[in-house]
Amino acid sequence: MKKLDRLGWAEGIGVQSFGVYAGVRVSAAGMLPQILPLLPPGWKSSRRATVQRLYSLVVPQANQRVGLRRMHILYADSVRIARDTDLNQVLAALETDLHRYIAETSPDMTFLHAGVVGWQGRAILLPGRSLSGKTTLVRELLRMGATYYSDEFAVVDNFGKVHPFTRPLGIREDSTYAQTKYNPETWGASLGGKPLPLGAVAICNYKAGARWKLRPLSPGQAALELMGNSIAVRTQPQPTLKRIQKLVKGAVFVKGTRGEAGEAAASILNLLCTGNSGEKV
Amino acid sequence: MKERQNPKARVDCLTREFGDELLVYDRDRNVGHCLNPTAAAAWKLCDGKTDLSELVTILTRQFSAPVDEPVVLLALEELSKARLLVETERPVRRTSRREAIRAIGIAGAIALPIVTSLVAPTPARAASCLANGKPCVSPVQCCSGKCGTGGHCNG
Repeated sequence: MKKLDRLGWAEGIGVQSFGVYAGVRVSAAGMLPQILPLLPPGWKSSRRATVQRLYSLVVPQANQRVGLRRMHILYADSVRIARDTDLNQVLAALETDLHRYIAETSPDMTFLHAGVVGWQGRAILLPGRSLSGKTTLVRELLRMGATYYSDEFAVVDNFGKVHPFTRPLGIREDSTYAQTKYNPETWGASLGGKPLPLGAVAICNYKAGARWKLRPLSPGQAALELMGNSIAVRTQPQPTLKRIQKLVKGAVFVKGTRGEAGEAAASILNLLCTGNSGEKV
Repeated sequence: MKERQNPKARVDCLTREFGDELLVYDRDRNVGHCLNPTAAAAWKLCDGKTDLSELVTILTRQFSAPVDEPVVLLALEELSKARLLVETERPVRRTSRREAIRAIGIAGAIALPIVTSLVAPTPARAASCLANGKPCVSPVQCCSGKCGTGGHCNG
């Protein structure tokens, strides 16, 4: 770390987000405008002298010797976590690591990997692994008038309420890591502000051509599924389970297979309206 | 010797109640278990002192319905498989699911004991990540947490 400290840093910023303190410093001036959009939604500037995690981004110098590859290198504390000639790739790695670090270490909140929208004062959670179609479903729900909360994390507080994590929707045009970012307003959606109680959890796996076929889950089974999508359950099991217990009260839970997003989104909204979690919703 | 035979629930797990169901988190193995009402009731009674016949009696009283020995044996087997009982020298006596269903009857008043288990994900696996073989510039992008020298997720 001392070696890194000696490199000389042009500018930096301290950030507080969900109770976690982090810092980012860069070796060249004028980089901060590219860093700020990568910070977690709702971040606040912090002047604390010490942070829990410090990111150091080394960018190639203009007067670098000819013939050398112009590498951008990113460190998290003293560990090199990304190195590439493409700055955008390295910035994407910074965003991923920072958001995940906050999700993993936040003392105030439990982060569940899920798409989230608000509908009639309640939150709809769409938990799922990568490439399970969460963002597509969120986009469809926004088109139908839902409020945008997140396409990545459901942030749950000690009262079991779901907070917004309104980063732009990251839509993969193919199955690579590269995502195109879209503002939710693109589909006429508004951004969620206040924390919402949970209304429904729909755990759907996309299968081309499949019909909407979901079965109801009991609160205990739903809690187990949510635990399976929790970022910090291994490191903070007690608060995670406590918040999940508060979260699931009074909600509807379904799990199964879905086909096209349009049909699934309509069924999910219907689920919340009727509170019916029957075999075929 | 008798004490070894009586089932004893592990006390080092975290538990949370969801109605009559129980969510149990095993911190040693990072596995979560959902115990349905029958399995949860049986697990709560496993104190190392209560024997099988006493379990049958107490559960029958709790559910206000006949709970037969095969049902309790199946519950203990499910709990043992999920490693939620303190290891005993003698294995839990086995019973078949069919035997338990027969004991409950077609229109049974209680459900078969079921324990559903799920391994808790690592932070990398829980969040958006890339599968093995996909191009990467950083280990943080990979579900495995490993970005190989060729610039592809592996491990």
